[in-house]
Amino acid sequence: MSKSKKMLTWVSLLVAVSMILAACGGAATQPPAAQPTQPPAEQPTQPPAAQPTQPPAARKVVTLIWTQEFDTLNPLYTNMWFVTVLFPVYACQAWWFDDQNAPVPNLVTEIPSAENGGISEDGRTITLKLREDIVWSDGTPITSADFKFTYDMIMADRNAVSSRSPYDLIESLETPDERTVVVTFGKPYAPWLSSLFAGSAGISIIPKHVLEPVFEAEGTIDTAEWNKFPSVGCGPFVLEEWQSGSFARFVANENFWLGRPKLDELFFRFVPDDASMIAALVAGDGDVGTFFAYSDLPELEAAGIKIMNSFSGYNEGWYINLHPEKGNPALKDVRVRQALAYAFNRQKLVQDLLLGRTNVAATDWDNTPFVDPTIEPYPYDPEKAKALLAEAGWTDTNGDGTVDKDGVELILKYGTTNREVRQDTQAVAQQDLAAVGIGTDLQSYDADLFFASYAENGPSANFSLDIIEYSDSPNFPDPDTSVWRCAEIPSDENPAGVNASGLCDPVLEDLFVKQETQVDFAERQQTFYQITRYIFDNAYWIGLWQDPDLFGFSDRITGVKLSGATAFYNVAEWDVTK
Amino acid sequence: MTRYIIRRLLQAIPLLFLVSLVLFVLMQNMGDPLATMGGRKVTRKEDRERLARQLGLDKPVLVQYIYWLVGNDWTKTDMDGDGVAETPGVRKGVLRGDWGISLVNRQPVTKVIGERLPNTLLLMLTAEGVVLVSALLIGIYSALRQYSLVDNIVTAATFVFYSMPVFFFALLAMYIFSVNFRKWGLPYLPTVGMFEPGAGQTVSQVVWHMVLPVATLSFGFIAGYSRYIRSTMLEALGQDYVRTAKAKGLPRPEVIYVHALKNAALPIVTIVALDLPFLLGGAIVTERIFGWPGMGRLFLDHVSRSDTPVVMGILMMIALAVILFQIIADITYAWLDPRIRYK
Amino acid sequence: MESSAAQPSPGVARLTLDELETPPLSLGQLTWRRFRRHRMAIFGSITLLLMVLYCFGGMMFFSEADANRTDTGARLQAPSRVHPFGTDTIGRDILARTIYGGQISLIIGMTAMLVELVFGISIGALAGYFGGLIDSITMRITEAVLIIPQIFLLLVMAKYFAQSIPNYQFMGRTFSGSVLVIIFVIGITSWPYLARIVRAQFLSVKENDFILAARATGASTRDIIFRHILPNSFAPIIVSATLSVAAAITLEAYISFLGLGVRPPTATWGNMLEGAYNYIDTAWWLWFFPGFFIALTVLSINFLGDGLRDALDPHSRAV
Repeated sequence: MSKSKKMLTWVSLLVAVSMILAACGGAATQPPAAQPTQPPAEQPTQPPAAQPTQPPAARKVVTLIWTQEFDTLNPLYTNMWFVTVLFPVYACQAWWFDDQNAPVPNLVTEIPSAENGGISEDGRTITLKLREDIVWSDGTPITSADFKFTYDMIMADRNAVSSRSPYDLIESLETPDERTVVVTFGKPYAPWLSSLFAGSAGISIIPKHVLEPVFEAEGTIDTAEWNKFPSVGCGPFVLEEWQSGSFARFVANENFWLGRPKLDELFFRFVPDDASMIAALVAGDGDVGTFFAYSDLPELEAAGIKIMNSFSGYNEGWYINLHPEKGNPALKDVRVRQALAYAFNRQKLVQDLLLGRTNVAATDWDNTPFVDPTIEPYPYDPEKAKALLAEAGWTDTNGDGTVDKDGVELILKYGTTNREVRQDTQAVAQQDLAAVGIGTDLQSYDADLFFASYAENGPSANFSLDIIEYSDSPNFPDPDTSVWRCAEIPSDENPAGVNASGLCDPVLEDLFVKQETQVDFAERQQTFYQITRYIFDNAYWIGLWQDPDLFGFSDRITGVKLSGATAFYNVAEWDVTK
Repeated sequence: MTRYIIRRLLQAIPLLFLVSLVLFVLMQNMGDPLATMGGRKVTRKEDRERLARQLGLDKPVLVQYIYWLVGNDWTKTDMDGDGVAETPGVRKGVLRGDWGISLVNRQPVTKVIGERLPNTLLLMLTAEGVVLVSALLIGIYSALRQYSLVDNIVTAATFVFYSMPVFFFALLAMYIFSVNFRKWGLPYLPTVGMFEPGAGQTVSQVVWHMVLPVATLSFGFIAGYSRYIRSTMLEALGQDYVRTAKAKGLPRPEVIYVHALKNAALPIVTIVALDLPFLLGGAIVTERIFGWPGMGRLFLDHVSRSDTPVVMGILMMIALAVILFQIIADITYAWLDPRIRYK
Repeated sequence: MESSAAQPSPGVARLTLDELETPPLSLGQLTWRRFRRHRMAIFGSITLLLMVLYCFGGMMFFSEADANRTDTGARLQAPSRVHPFGTDTIGRDILARTIYGGQISLIIGMTAMLVELVFGISIGALAGYFGGLIDSITMRITEAVLIIPQIFLLLVMAKYFAQSIPNYQFMGRTFSGSVLVIIFVIGITSWPYLARIVRAQFLSVKENDFILAARATGASTRDIIFRHILPNSFAPIIVSATLSVAAAITLEAYISFLGLGVRPPTATWGNMLEGAYNYIDTAWWLWFFPGFFIALTVLSINFLGDGLRDALDPHSRAV
């Protein structure tokens, strides 16, 4: 054998070994090398900018940069804001909410009201009148049977859907004819408008003709193919392709009854973090982004991205642990709680950390019409804070810098999730509170640990913290919320409760019970004025900032309006100029 | 040989049971998967109770483990919350190939992982190829020119690279080749993803996007491997048979590449086989930084939402891979070196 | 690197003629001589010394309050005379934070190594000395730990222990409880390699004549293990322990980088990096300085470990 031949043999042996290893590694799947070589069937991802000379031929594509990939696209199952915000894109709800958070009919001919007979006298029955021309994207008509099917699927025991609210309060759902859905609640249910087949917290209907066979065959739609790939939809856009970890494409629904959208395609690109989203937007590789850190806004605006705030009911704040037994006794004194509010320079925090793009929150309901308009956030006044502390008996007797009373130092355990802006807020608050002599013990957790239930010993539920920072939205745009209710206080008997403050104030509870059945808007508003005023005066909740959803749009997109409840409600009107 | 393989496989079984049980118990206390099911809202009380029941999370840990392992189709569970177990289970269990359903999106675990596995393998195998080729070149070169200037420089450089944490290398590379090259108007490398949305998933796009992640994954291994090859080569070059070959007057290349390298490369094969599954670990950080849609990112995403079935699936698949590759390493070793006999 | 690839060894120390001809030297002197010749090891030791000086000597110039003082008005400032390393997202001085963060990182490296030593030596010694059933049980456990790449195990365990661990006071300073968690978690996932080394040492040393002699003179098992076998196994243990410190510092940085490490307000080099890569093009100083310190420290320790290997055990020209 010649030398070169031997050498060749040896080298090829090495190659062969590595190939075998490679093959073993990839045995379960197709050869990985072949994977990326498949070009997309057509070139649908071509941005219109590539062919500026032929505007009629160019497809109008808008690229959205999403930092979290969809979990599932079945509206019944998703847990993710990044999906619910897209309901107006691919799903269909009975009505949307516009930029003033007023309802706009979609599947129905008109919004049910007492005047048009949509709401019964006793306020328990809501009647939906469906449009004649509504169809699924495959042409099948949408009928009341789809509503009934959706309801049945939510309530089916074998379907582990995300939430049954408010469908578990429904006494009966009837479909007298193809175009009518009659929903009867057990008792008048004021928040129906924001949750019954509509709203950010509500859900969208699902196609009976696609999913019923699945349910009959498998007994559940938990694992239906449609969840991952809703090829039959009823929004202005329909899913065309979704590649895990990379991208998803929605194309215009030609059968959309309110008129075919002006755009041809929405291209979602999934990136792992903010930095890549910002880079893509600045470089012009993307048109729409969301969930920005405030510190990135100047860079985006310098690159011509227009930032739009959309208030969806989130207000970041401190829930104070007021549990009768497990709460810190010091915080039972309203003066100490108010001192916290006066001591923390929240105006400066909003100005510096949030670049002044939002405001200090005064109540848990800011940016809804349900807040007593006379409420102003507590100003920054450390002297007042010290005076209040002294009045409550807390002074620094031993000169260690921290106030004390009866030999007990005032040190508060302050916990939140490990979101960057929250951890930063903790550090800033620690400094401000220390200046008036309040010590803090900072804790931060992963979200799934922080919000773990009482049964799982979650810090926000087991009352081990004194200050709990997070933002929770009511049933936006409805003000109803469960985190303030007595029945939600977690305990051994009630391990899944969500009332993190452990507060059960009879005055407050009465007001909450009262508003629940107040179907009349003005009456309910008055009740909420009392609620917000009461919570504010007692400093049961200390607002940090109003937490809008931030969206950025490149300047080539026109016609965008945002709603707080259903952000992309007018996505069919969006257009691109260049 | 066959008996050896069978024995190794049998030994692996109790090991895998032990590992899976410990991991499963650990994971039950990792966080509350129901906590984040309300989206940005805290999950409602009624939904929490119902979901725990429907997803079987209200069962004791050991029962959950048994369901995970052998399924629950032989028993009935209470789905409607009336305290009566009436619904027959549908899970088949890992032993019958059913890895369960992701708590996050209710998709079968095998499907969730299967979608990401090719991307990770693409990255890993390319990196492994780059590692082998560069390490062989560098290692042989340094061995032949021991203590030369180049050898010393290479020695120092490999040492620096070997000690450099993956993320620091990644950030530095990104800062230089993406951020600053762009600033200077040079052709710059992309920072994240597998391809530009505008250009589509073409071969050139994917290759271009792989440059930085592959470099990041490989650099530490190149450093380690080339040192290894250097020393085994040096050792082999000092052996009698090489001296004999030289004395016989065989040409230098044949002595080096046929006689010396053949024996020096033997341990490399084993090390490669043993290291392959561990490249997955390096891939966690790399995939995170470069936004590569692979298993590492999948793992991080699902750990952060306490998705036990998917996390268990990933870990057990890696454990299986480690065991299999250990056996493969032994087999190849025996195959390449006839002196070795396994009993 | 989560690699089982062998450590590279630069500049292997060689015995010279000169060394052979001088009058007999004690073992310590010999070791020191060999170590001294290892230029990279000397470089590593000096750099490491400077690092320790920086982290602990820096306390004289900056108080912990300086490291934690926020100034949201001066956030994300580039390096300047006032802030030589710039400021972070809430205006804390990065120079001061690298000093205090470095202390924690170094302490984590050292203590995690100690935890690893305790587990690794006791398990390895048990297995190697007694053999038989104990050996096979402990070695199965070792295999079980090794079967999952360490980084995965670390992430799962860090999350498992991340539940409410209170902050604690030590020497007048407040530390996040997660420091203890990380030390423990790194220690408990790192021991298997050391256990194997110790076991192998025990297996070979216990057959030596002097052990037989000791046993014959009636020495207790404890004496044999701790006074006879262990001291004779020191060389590989010291080398392994040194390299473990570097590994622990890197691992802390990995998990902190991935968001599961030491929690604020306690700074470490690792958690200073967390989130910093979001500022890769806007504020390079956020990630550069802590990253650089980690890389330099790990490098120095690896050099040192390599020098020690060559010096303590000249026969092991192992790679």
